[in-house]
Amino acid sequence: MHEAPKTLSSYREELDKALDDSFLRKTLDTFAVAYKANREAVFQQVNERDLIAKIAAAKDNAAQHMDELYEQFKREAEKRGVVVHRAATAAEANEIIARIAKENDVKKVVKSKSMTAEETQLNLRLEQDGLIVDETDLGEWIIQLRHEGPSHMVMPAIHLSRYQVADDFSKATGVKQDSDIQRLVKVARVQLRRKFIAADMGISGANFAVAETGAIATVTNEGNARMVTTLPRVHVALVGLDKLIPTLDEALNALLVLPRNATAQMLTSYVSWMDGAGPCASSPTGKKIMHVVFLDNGRSALAKDPLFSQVLRCVRCGACANVCPVFRLVGGHKMGYIYIGAIGLILTYFFHGRERAKVLAQNCVGCEACKNICAGGIDLPRLIREIRSRLNEEEGTPAEAALLSAVMKNRKMFHSLLKFAKFAQLPSTGGSQFQRHLPAIFLGKHGYKALPAIAAKSFRDRWKSIKPNLPNPRYRVALFAGCAQDFVYPEQLEACVKLLAAHNVDVEFPLEQSCCGLPLEMMGQRKTSIEVARQNIRAFDAGKYDAIITLCASCGSHLKHSYPHILEGTSGEAQRVNAFAGKIMDFSSFVHDVLGLTADDFVNKGEKVTYHASCHLCRGLGVKDAPRDLIRAAGEYLPSEEEEVCCGFGGTYSMKFPEISAQLLEKKLANVEATGATRLVVDCPGCIMQLRGGAEKKGSPLKVTHISELLAENMKR
Amino acid sequence: MSNVNPELVELFRTKAAVVGAKVVEAASMAEAARYVADVCASKDPCELLADEPDAEQGPLGPNKVPTRVKRIVAAPDLDAAAFGALAGDCEAKGFACIREGLRKHLAGIDVGVAQAVLGVADSGTCMVNSDDEETRLATMISEISVLILHKSAIRKDLPSIAADLRAQQSTGKPSYTAFITGPSRTADIERVSAIGVHGPLELHIILLED
Repeated sequence: MHEAPKTLSSYREELDKALDDSFLRKTLDTFAVAYKANREAVFQQVNERDLIAKIAAAKDNAAQHMDELYEQFKREAEKRGVVVHRAATAAEANEIIARIAKENDVKKVVKSKSMTAEETQLNLRLEQDGLIVDETDLGEWIIQLRHEGPSHMVMPAIHLSRYQVADDFSKATGVKQDSDIQRLVKVARVQLRRKFIAADMGISGANFAVAETGAIATVTNEGNARMVTTLPRVHVALVGLDKLIPTLDEALNALLVLPRNATAQMLTSYVSWMDGAGPCASSPTGKKIMHVVFLDNGRSALAKDPLFSQVLRCVRCGACANVCPVFRLVGGHKMGYIYIGAIGLILTYFFHGRERAKVLAQNCVGCEACKNICAGGIDLPRLIREIRSRLNEEEGTPAEAALLSAVMKNRKMFHSLLKFAKFAQLPSTGGSQFQRHLPAIFLGKHGYKALPAIAAKSFRDRWKSIKPNLPNPRYRVALFAGCAQDFVYPEQLEACVKLLAAHNVDVEFPLEQSCCGLPLEMMGQRKTSIEVARQNIRAFDAGKYDAIITLCASCGSHLKHSYPHILEGTSGEAQRVNAFAGKIMDFSSFVHDVLGLTADDFVNKGEKVTYHASCHLCRGLGVKDAPRDLIRAAGEYLPSEEEEVCCGFGGTYSMKFPEISAQLLEKKLANVEATGATRLVVDCPGCIMQLRGGAEKKGSPLKVTHISELLAENMKR
Repeated sequence: MSNVNPELVELFRTKAAVVGAKVVEAASMAEAARYVADVCASKDPCELLADEPDAEQGPLGPNKVPTRVKRIVAAPDLDAAAFGALAGDCEAKGFACIREGLRKHLAGIDVGVAQAVLGVADSGTCMVNSDDEETRLATMISEISVLILHKSAIRKDLPSIAADLRAQQSTGKPSYTAFITGPSRTADIERVSAIGVHGPLELHIILLED
């Protein structure tokens, strides 16, 4: 059993070790690529979005009626001879189950896989009473032999090689075992069959608890849950209250997504519906002794939380880990405490407490890959940011976050500091585009990329001289610059202005705008983030413009999707917030969808161009075709492998977890180089900072630019 | 033939094959019985995964445990006529054919037969009423599990069988209903797919004309 990390520095040491585990890296890499393709294939015959929305609505409804559903389930199950319990805490659930074992004179227990039993650490409690407890799911059995916790909710032993398993099995059986996987699986077949036969009590979890009939269902591939619930005379199911649903219809609907999301299967080998205590020849009464123990452990409180109640939609498919670029690098033991992946970071906070969650909750790069595939449509990245914000409220703000907050409250001070920084950095840049000699704070682990220099003249200081003057403009737009482009990459905005003006689009740049506030959110600084958001909304008179354009995908997705959330109920200006958010549009979409620019508008010199799809553009804003069409119009587009996987920037993430950020960057650049392109274009200055810095550090000739620069350079005059 | 939808039958066949089930057809229960006896005759001897004091033991199997000499076919939920036909075919080949007492053979039997209530074409799934412990064991402890499915009982997808599943759970008695989709499988070691970790090594589905 591993412990949750206590400090960021000790956590980073652990992450370092995980990054050096070449077997783990290779396994998870192969898995990530295969999973994506298999998942896509298996979702073709169903309407994914529609099903996810249905699951979300059904689970939300169930959470709101948790107590009634429990009562109904209890009534129905008791009619069918089942004893139903409700435990407020993990310890209470364990006590109930230990008591059932004692009352029935149980000596040996077999278990099928249950994350809920992992949550309560049930085995430890039962072993205290001298019971022999054997896991029977192959993966769970392996990790039990090794005294480890699961590294994935569905594939608990994914971190182990066949050789490690062969060693463990050799020890367990006293016979040297071959490392052939098919043979190893049969070793489990022989060994575990004997345990099923000898057991007095079987413990299972449940994927569904159906109130209308009092049935529980397990969704499995191996068939061990059927053995566990059939052969021993006693069956105890430990079930989270969140598994209660009103009717079979909700369960059948969820079954269309759960196996597809978990393992890219249409359906698992077995789904078992157990409704009541049926015949059991090994029981003295001829009837199964059946108990269902519902676990609360914070769930009923969660159900009442207006924001976090959506956590209860989780069906434990594990998909949020499957697509997480950080999980892919470091594995589940470093990406959760007991529950793994994005949902694990969140559940740790609620089920296992703040102390265990506070460091883990920092390890989300915010790429939104998980949000995009969650079976319950849970906004996982947002909830992780909210937890950071709660942690700061509960624990006090870390120094660097407090400093950032203090500076950002005052736009003028913030912008003056940024301008001052360009003088302060002179000795380290030698006046070039990069900081050649890193300031002390960036030494060591941060050396994987060259950091950009603050521009000599910010965009806001150039604005007066470049503002277009058009007598009869076709459209009128405002620019939201974002800090990176205003102060580091003003040329990207200039390219945009040049292109738009050439197509008779008038551009304004309201000077009172500030940082979008996303970095504050990432560091859990909610109060200042709200202040900054209100300031930005005041700076723009949204009604005046056809669109508010941003060239930063992260700013764009934050302004459009997060502002309405974080300002909800705080400003009393919902209309103004929505008007602002409604006008936000990314540069590529405006140029492609609104202006309708095509190959006819560009001189295509056949430049070989590849693309990195920024997380906040392709997932945050759902923009996929526009930039790719535009690249094809202005150059030769060479698609790259895993174009939509995060580059590792993640704003402040790359400062907290530079080792992970560096690995993501390396992988991204390798895929880019493999295309043979000479230029990489991106829709987000954050990614550019990461990718250009990485290419510079490697001495690669690759040119990394914003898509606006590609288009402005190649437009027909 | 009135209720058979050939498209659904075809879809079921394809999807069941994808998950590793062997799908065959039979015109009658008698033909199905012959198929079961033939399957039992041509398979490798069943391995005894645990002690079974009364079983005559043959040479060690691939997993270095003894094998069963007298083969066993179990078919607890067939009606008397169908069971009689199967028992006759088995007897002719020297196999035991049983319909109860499966707990005596938890070490493993050769073939277990059960009837499917319905099939789900989209995923190649059979729904089996296994309220009876013997039926359940027949689908669990057999090396080859044979399910008999009427072609007319094939439905499109999971949501369309809600009423049937509800009916299983509304008899006023405890119930245990299984959706079975292919043989027992795992990918828990290095994500390599392996068949038969706990349950059947093979799943055969006999599509029966009505």
